[in-house]
Amino acid sequence: MGLANDDVWVVIPVFNEAGVLESVVRETLAVFPNVVCVDDGSGDGSADIVLRTRAHLVRHPVNLGQGAALQTGLSYARNRPGAAYFVTFDADGQHRLEDAAAMVAVARSGEVDVVVGSRFLGSGRSVPPLKRLVLRTAALLSPSGRRLGLTDAHNGLRVFTRPVVDDLRITMNGMAHASEIVSYLGGSRWRVREVPVSIRYTEYSQAKGQSLVNGVTILFDLSVRSRRG
Amino acid sequence: MLIQFLLILSVMVVLIVVARAGGAAYVQASKRVGLVAFAAANVYAVLRPADVTVVARFLGVNRGTDLVLYSLVVAFMLGMVSMYVRFRVVDRRYTELARAVAIREAESVNSRRGLRQDDTGQP
Repeated sequence: MGLANDDVWVVIPVFNEAGVLESVVRETLAVFPNVVCVDDGSGDGSADIVLRTRAHLVRHPVNLGQGAALQTGLSYARNRPGAAYFVTFDADGQHRLEDAAAMVAVARSGEVDVVVGSRFLGSGRSVPPLKRLVLRTAALLSPSGRRLGLTDAHNGLRVFTRPVVDDLRITMNGMAHASEIVSYLGGSRWRVREVPVSIRYTEYSQAKGQSLVNGVTILFDLSVRSRRG
Repeated sequence: MLIQFLLILSVMVVLIVVARAGGAAYVQASKRVGLVAFAAANVYAVLRPADVTVVARFLGVNRGTDLVLYSLVVAFMLGMVSMYVRFRVVDRRYTELARAVAIREAESVNSRRGLRQDDTGQP
């Protein structure tokens, strides 16, 4: 291995995050040298901000949704030589890099194929009560999530090893991709481990988070999808 | 009666439009058959409304118009689901296309920016 973490690629889906993006990307680059930002058709100059940094930029020609942006970033990162570990990371600054680094270390141990962050394993104090209720319900309603013993189905911070990324195809373009990833993992032979993380809930990230209405949309999309096999 | 003539005429127009647009191979054969059967039932119901009431009574509905209304609701919802599923397929293709374009462009842009594409995996 050469430099630390040079086999790690951090995928950051970006949609109108100009306010916090530059600091998030710069801080991330300080820990992980390989960052790819997928601009999902932002109209606020987010792409130009990425161009000022050393992060790779992939631009969707039109807005496709966060799930699509994640898949695009993973597909791009997968084609970079030497890429072995893939981190998904939110652009709004809610994830902590210490958590990401710890999760990569778990993946490097070779004991697991996927590491998922959970806001509920640790103290979990950073999660507001209503949000906590919505997320716990989502985790409980998901059969694969229960089977894997996951406590948090909708955390954006994950680490995948290369074989998983080679196999995974996110088809849910919108917010249902989180549930899709959980049901994919539940139906696969990958070894999954949940690791406690904490979240920095700022007003900025809360305004963009998942609402109850969003949850209904997600359930609808997933039910139609599973009927089609 | 004039109304029967008008209704049957409009069903015929729809069938002709569908048949002429039929070159589009994506409409499944089963759906076409279903549509023709639906149109035929429609014409029959227009010509002999009393028969519809007989069927309705048999099913436990009072009036033939009610039965037609209920069937319409079900048909409408089936149509909506079918459109939704169709939309998902189109959406998936469109996503693949956009992704391929985005990645191809990104590879040239990022190498022009001087980001080394091969700065990992060195021995």
